[in-house]
Amino acid sequence: MQNQPSAPAIEVEDLSIRYGQVTAVGGISFSAASGQQLTLLGPSGCGKTSTLRAVAGLERPTSGAIRIGGKTVYDSGKNVNVPAEQRGMSMVFQSYAIWPHMTVFENVAYGLRVRKVGGSELKEKVQHALELVKMDSYADRNASQLSGGQQQRVALARACAFSPTVLLFDEPLSNLDAKLRSEMRIELRELQRRLAVTSLYVTHDLEEALAMSDQIVVMRDGAIEQSGTPSEIYSYPRTAFVADFVGSANLVTGTVIAAGTDENRVAIRTEDGAVLVGVTRGRHVGHTATLSLRTVHLHLFEKSPPSDSNVWPVVIRHVVFLGDISQLHVQWGDRELIVRQTSATSLTPGQGAFLWIDAQQCILLET
Amino acid sequence: MVAVIAVVAGVVLYPVFFLIQAALDVGLPDSRPPTAYGLDNFVKALDYQTIFLNTLAVAFAATLMALLFGFATAWILTRTNVPFKRTLDQLMTVPYYVTPLLGALAWSLLGAPESGFINQLWRSFGNSDALIDITSPWGIAWVMALFEGSVAYVMIGAVMQSMDPALEEASQVLGGGRLRTIWRVTLPLVAPGVFGALIFVFAEMLGSFSAALVLGTPSRFYVITTAIYQLVSQYPPRIPLAAAMGVSLFVVMFGMLYLYRRITSRGSYVTISGKAFRPRVMDVGWLRWMLFGICVIYVLLSVVLPVGTLVYASVQKLAVAFPSAENFTLDNFRQALSINAVRTAMANSLVLAAVTATLGVVVTGLLTWIILRSRLPGRGALEYLVMFPQAVPRLVFAFGMMWAWLVFPLPIYGTFWVLLIAYLTVFMPLGVRTISGVVMQLDKSLDECGQVCGATWLYRLRTITVPLLRPGLLAAWLLIFVASVRELGASILLMGPDSKVMTPAIVEAWFSSSSELTAAMALIQTAVIAVVMLLFQRLTNRIADHGA
Repeated sequence: MQNQPSAPAIEVEDLSIRYGQVTAVGGISFSAASGQQLTLLGPSGCGKTSTLRAVAGLERPTSGAIRIGGKTVYDSGKNVNVPAEQRGMSMVFQSYAIWPHMTVFENVAYGLRVRKVGGSELKEKVQHALELVKMDSYADRNASQLSGGQQQRVALARACAFSPTVLLFDEPLSNLDAKLRSEMRIELRELQRRLAVTSLYVTHDLEEALAMSDQIVVMRDGAIEQSGTPSEIYSYPRTAFVADFVGSANLVTGTVIAAGTDENRVAIRTEDGAVLVGVTRGRHVGHTATLSLRTVHLHLFEKSPPSDSNVWPVVIRHVVFLGDISQLHVQWGDRELIVRQTSATSLTPGQGAFLWIDAQQCILLET
Repeated sequence: MVAVIAVVAGVVLYPVFFLIQAALDVGLPDSRPPTAYGLDNFVKALDYQTIFLNTLAVAFAATLMALLFGFATAWILTRTNVPFKRTLDQLMTVPYYVTPLLGALAWSLLGAPESGFINQLWRSFGNSDALIDITSPWGIAWVMALFEGSVAYVMIGAVMQSMDPALEEASQVLGGGRLRTIWRVTLPLVAPGVFGALIFVFAEMLGSFSAALVLGTPSRFYVITTAIYQLVSQYPPRIPLAAAMGVSLFVVMFGMLYLYRRITSRGSYVTISGKAFRPRVMDVGWLRWMLFGICVIYVLLSVVLPVGTLVYASVQKLAVAFPSAENFTLDNFRQALSINAVRTAMANSLVLAAVTATLGVVVTGLLTWIILRSRLPGRGALEYLVMFPQAVPRLVFAFGMMWAWLVFPLPIYGTFWVLLIAYLTVFMPLGVRTISGVVMQLDKSLDECGQVCGATWLYRLRTITVPLLRPGLLAAWLLIFVASVRELGASILLMGPDSKVMTPAIVEAWFSSSSELTAAMALIQTAVIAVVMLLFQRLTNRIADHGA
């Protein structure tokens, strides 16, 4: 089989991974175009790491097919399973997997030496890779003397050194502290763009996924919940799980009282009588419906705002100060809603207020 | 994989099969395979009730003493502010290296009822009887316990070390006093670990051979292992009876080790969490010097006194308690070094041990890797097979091998090949345990990363796996080497006239020539082992310096 220019760089088709009776991944399909960064996002145990390891060739799937640059590396039907060392990919591990018995230089040179690169070319390429991650002055250092952040950079340089076409990342930032993590996020994204390498990234960290991906695949219990661009996923969650996992959202369920008046509109009435207007995004509307309201899209006013819909009187229950934001729990009918706002609030518990949300921000979920 | 399992199963189970076959053989005495099967041999073995009772009594007494030594020293070293803790901790493992055989020789010189140094001293004060009798069941148990005590120390110490101090602190915060905390929290938490150690040590004691051989045989006091040896080596040998005894012993030990696994695998409640804790240390005031004294006395009795005694005896013409100038001689060493048989035996031992250790590291290394890191089917079964020899006393296993190789088409009986195969088999659990300790600490992704980088299995083995495992592989090499040089139970049955090795030669000298010469031989062996260990450490340090 030859490389077809139009073929996606990574293509996973109906992939299943079972360990005995337990199904880790249950028939998922996705693909990443050349040069794209695709992120598998989900809570621990959702099968994202198993999927990544199957693509790498470190895990043998139960069925399905995997193609890299149009070339089949795994196909249960045709009984193809190319071993990991022949797939020509590269990977950054969660634990970094820096070999402690080698120098930084030798770590980075490993993939090149395997490919019989030697002499000045080897030196040049290692040097270049180390420069990319700003570790060129550490080449002779013993790998065991590096800090976590430095190991992370060396792991990255090692993964890039032999110019692979596909890079795999297994939660590479999860062992770094919060500040370093947000720096590395930007650097990694920058590097990935510069090298124009296709990457498959696994994380449970929402911000990481949103900041770094061209495309996100949200997984849960071995299945795909939703896939799309970061803004699609964030703004228009498809299911309650995605709404809750990707950012924080209030989910409101009620009986549908009007739908399709304006083709994109839906109105529901909750059990305690409140009427909520939202948008369908073209999704199917049944008898009952659940809308997702992001906590940051809810607004509180001391006086009733001038809007004809989605305004309710509420009572403040708790105010939690979280630094950059404040989180308010408000009594809304029989239940509590959570509101997050960036400005400092003068509202205090027990006080009455008005709650408003733009109908465009109330998203109908598929049930 | 099938081939690997088949080979391991072959070397492990083939002798056991012949052992069981011999035990069930009730046919004509000299025909193989047996002409009739039955349980008569087991019934006959019951006639030797005293031997079974002796074994149980000695093993039980020795286990209690060893556990007492182990528990006391472990508690002192992990939970109190005893001085020189680190040095003591290192010293506590030395008795294990002194071995029960050396201990038995030395304590025989010290405590034999007539000629023992201690009894000579005792009589010089005007007494006419003996103060101690090391050849009594208690004496034998005492020697066995002294050397197994350091095993108990290591096992119990690990349990105490891994206990979360917060569990005790919680009791105190809730108002429990010091005694109440010990009684209600500490003891119940360490109890499963201590019980596990008890079972393990008891199983070892049941199968132990050398102390009972040296101390008990002259006064016709037999335990099951020495009885088996007697039955096999006497003329005419009583193979089926010995086999029945061997099978009985093996069944009991197997049951005990199964129990031990059950106890330890249940995780002993929460005390073993894999985290390294700093156990709470009790300030015992001036008492700490007394506790220090207890530990020092243990080391004195198990290391300094025995080795000192051997040195003292080896430089005398006739070993007596009171030194005199005309009794001094170096002839014993001269003689030991000049007897051809001793020299060849020593050389044989060293070569055989080096080959065993080298092959053993390669074989057990691969087996460990298959068991822990491969995803091949059948690796669980392989693990059981590999650990199986641990449940069989080496003497009994060698007996099975002897019987098996006699009828094997390859004429290797009585040659070094049989010894080599025996050593490799009986030390397989030792090698696998040592190497797996290191493999389990290795992050799996270190190897996987090499794989994704495009390296083949062999290339990764050379550049990643072996360099990272080097400390474990070297430790395993040294352990197997030392264990092989000092092996007695298997060697004494399997060596032939042209394949003599050192440790059985020492035992032979003990029974057939002078104790002074034997002391010299034992010291020479110990010194050679010590030199090899030192050289090895030098060498590996140098490699480590250059390699990294």
